Amino acid sequence: MIELGLPPFLLLSAFLFACGVSCLAVKRNAIGVLMGVELILNAANLNFVAFARYNPAFRVEGQVFALLVVVLAAAEAAVALAIILNFYNNHATVDVDRADDLRG
Amino acid sequence: MPEWFATTPGRLYVVATLLPLVGCALLLLFAGLARNLCRPLRASGGRAGSLYWLLGGDKPLATGAYLATALMGLAAVLAVVGLVMFLGDAQRGLKPDELAARWSERTDWIRVGNTDPATPAEWDKSDSARLVRDESTAAPPVPRGGRALELGYRIDHLTALMVAMVTVIGTLIFVFSLGYMRDETKETVEDHEVDHQTPGTHHFARRGRYGRFFAYLSLFAFSMLNLLVADNLFQVFVSWELVGVCSFFLIGFYYERPSASRAAAKAFIVNRVGDAGFLVGILVAWTSLGTLNIDELARRLRSPDRDTHGSLELAGQLVRVNPGQPDEKGNPTYELPAKGETGTHLALYPALWEDPTHFHGLGHARTNDREFTAPARQTYFDFGAMPYWLFVVMGIGIFLGCVGKSAQVPLHTWLPDAMEGPTPVSALIHAATMVAAGVYLVGRCYPLFAPEVLLGVAYTGAVTLFVAATIALVQTDIKRVLAYSTCSQLGYMMLALGVGGWAAGLLHLLTHAFFKALLFLGSGSVIHGCHHEQDLRKMGGLLTKMRVTGFTMLVGVLAIAGAPFFSGWYSKDQILSSALGYGLVHREHMTLFVLPLLTAAMTGFYMFRLWFLAFAGAPRDHHVHDHAHESPAVMTVPLVILALFSVGVAWGWPLWDADASALGHLLEAGQPAAVRVAFGPERLTAHDHHLVAGVLALLAAALGAGLAAAMYWRPKLDPAAVRARAGGAYTFLLNKWYFDEAYDAALVRPTVGLAFASAAADKRPTDGPAPPGAAEPPPRRYDLGTLDGLITTVGQLVGAAGRELRLVQTGRLRGYVLVLALTVAGLLGMLVGLSG
Repeated sequence: MIELGLPPFLLLSAFLFACGVSCLAVKRNAIGVLMGVELILNAANLNFVAFARYNPAFRVEGQVFALLVVVLAAAEAAVALAIILNFYNNHATVDVDRADDLRG
Repeated sequence: MPEWFATTPGRLYVVATLLPLVGCALLLLFAGLARNLCRPLRASGGRAGSLYWLLGGDKPLATGAYLATALMGLAAVLAVVGLVMFLGDAQRGLKPDELAARWSERTDWIRVGNTDPATPAEWDKSDSARLVRDESTAAPPVPRGGRALELGYRIDHLTALMVAMVTVIGTLIFVFSLGYMRDETKETVEDHEVDHQTPGTHHFARRGRYGRFFAYLSLFAFSMLNLLVADNLFQVFVSWELVGVCSFFLIGFYYERPSASRAAAKAFIVNRVGDAGFLVGILVAWTSLGTLNIDELARRLRSPDRDTHGSLELAGQLVRVNPGQPDEKGNPTYELPAKGETGTHLALYPALWEDPTHFHGLGHARTNDREFTAPARQTYFDFGAMPYWLFVVMGIGIFLGCVGKSAQVPLHTWLPDAMEGPTPVSALIHAATMVAAGVYLVGRCYPLFAPEVLLGVAYTGAVTLFVAATIALVQTDIKRVLAYSTCSQLGYMMLALGVGGWAAGLLHLLTHAFFKALLFLGSGSVIHGCHHEQDLRKMGGLLTKMRVTGFTMLVGVLAIAGAPFFSGWYSKDQILSSALGYGLVHREHMTLFVLPLLTAAMTGFYMFRLWFLAFAGAPRDHHVHDHAHESPAVMTVPLVILALFSVGVAWGWPLWDADASALGHLLEAGQPAAVRVAFGPERLTAHDHHLVAGVLALLAAALGAGLAAAMYWRPKLDPAAVRARAGGAYTFLLNKWYFDEAYDAALVRPTVGLAFASAAADKRPTDGPAPPGAAEPPPRRYDLGTLDGLITTVGQLVGAAGRELRLVQTGRLRGYVLVLALTVAGLLGMLVGLSG
């Protein structure tokens, strides 16, 4: 098995993160924004496991944090989808730019 | 308790210093405050009401004054005991560090970094050492050692004598004040001076301020003692300002009189000018020498008297060097200039060089070092240097503070005006103690003065003594004559210090304190007896009415004029012989001897003129003479005691040898080494020509006294005729050389004018009346263009910025995320760029 080393993982993670951020920045659809957030979370998760693998000091901590992030992402998705559903019920759209009820 | 004093008897002085403070706190702060707080409840009774009546009620209570006087007396007893113990220790021949262990202590007040000299590891790197032990190629240690503002005291011969003098004279003046200020115990005091000075007020009446007077006096005594025992310049500065503010309070004691409040403000402001210089001196010492302790400063500046190899030839000298090429490690080096040249820098020494490190001083008997580096090899001179001009600036700065406090030309104008205060204040503060603080500080900081500064000290003193004496010749107010004579005598002290007569100047300081306090208290007694008449022209023939006052004042007059066997003779004789010695060695500075000699004649003249005008001859104003009476015993007893001191305080055996003064010998024992080093030949010459100077001074004084007798006692010469002959010179002197007018024109009036102009510019509601046709007057264009405009602009700018920035806050998440991402990318780019 080829030993890849840490940098490719970090590069992939950075790529995922960049994808997530650009997704956040350009999507008007709330579902798309949610997917961008998922991408960012997974980029972080990838970092955690990569460090857990290549840095002996974080062998256990990295994996525990990765699990924690998975759970967090699931919970976040559940809450966010619930908000989006309610928003759709009220406004018949999922365009985040239309969510300006609180604007002063 | 006895052991506590026995191990470090210097603590006697701490207690003596704090006792007057206790008196002050009890009197004014505690009792006065409590009385004022309970005042609203005085009618309703109850505990607070009874406390009000207990603390004197409406009538000023004298108990506090007696308490303050008793505490001052106790301080005097402690100071005398301390003096005796100190002299005993000095006689036993204790080593300097043993003496220091018993008579000095210090503690950090505000500390930055580690300042504990006991830990050598830290000490190595501290700035005050600037010593590199290892041979590493590292740069010289950056100044990072600890520094501290300290509280401490150090008793030496000078301090011990000064504290004893201040407390003894202080006690006598407290006692005198008990009698002199008796009017202030009344429930209502009518101040007729206020009626005279501010037309339109009639029968100005106020509550007596007996307690307040003694509180101020006690606070002053505390500050003065603290100034004397302080071992570092910062503590001196704090006390310096405290005595200044006490002087302000006491000059303005009758603050309802416009003249008194003006005089108080003048004294305070003129002193600030000098204090600004003092502060500059302190800051230079702090930044370039790293310590304010006077002993340590002297050790940093003067070459030590021994090093690891033994005694040094060049002990106590200022070593001037030139910066050389940096050595191979890049450290600055300094080399001695060739013979006959002077360097631009002053070599510094470690303050605590008793460190285990090998120390190699300059001028060791066995080697003749031609160059040394700093801070390179430990066997060489490696403690740095400071620019010489900066050292001179430091000396001038410290001396400027002394000029202000000791009323030397050109800052002398406040002292005569300070006579507005009650007479005991004039005696205690403005003659005996506070004004002497400047001279004392010059004496104490003697090793910190460059030769150039000392020459400046000498000339300042010489000019002051001459100018003040000429003014004193024509004054008619009894207290103003004494004030100018104080200026003149302080000039003598400064002169002596400047020409190397360290012991002579400080001996004059001590003797002068006694006879000038006597003269002032005598004049106070005269004023009291004549119902607040201060004009000499209205007195005359008072000897028949006030025998004790008259004869004790005669003793004071004889002492200040320098009559043989009176204390003033010993000190003035030594001063003049020091000046003569200096003048003979440096012929170009012979003025420094001629001026004081002329002034000795003038001193004899104006002092005897004062005495003859007041006490001899026929009464000139029968109203004053008929009502004159001798003062009560509480006032005359201090006079008699002071007269005894004025005669005998400087005696020694043989009595007819002015050099044999016992007090002078005590002072000489405490003389800093710098005096011997800097003024060797001058002092030898002074000793050789001692008799010449003494005879000349005596002749001059006799001439002056004889002239006074001829003009005012046995009228052979008509004063009016002399005045007519003098013509313009008389007016010139009567107007005090026009110093006040010159300051008024040069400084006061432009400042006041500027203030009025600014106020006028600010007060205008408009730029003028409304032009015909316009509805509103024009706005204030000047204000709108300057301060008002500036402030308005700032406000408007903030508002405009807020309006613009509002547009950025859209509430759209996508925009925020974009900005965030771009910022992070930018920061990362910067990081990469910087580290790459």
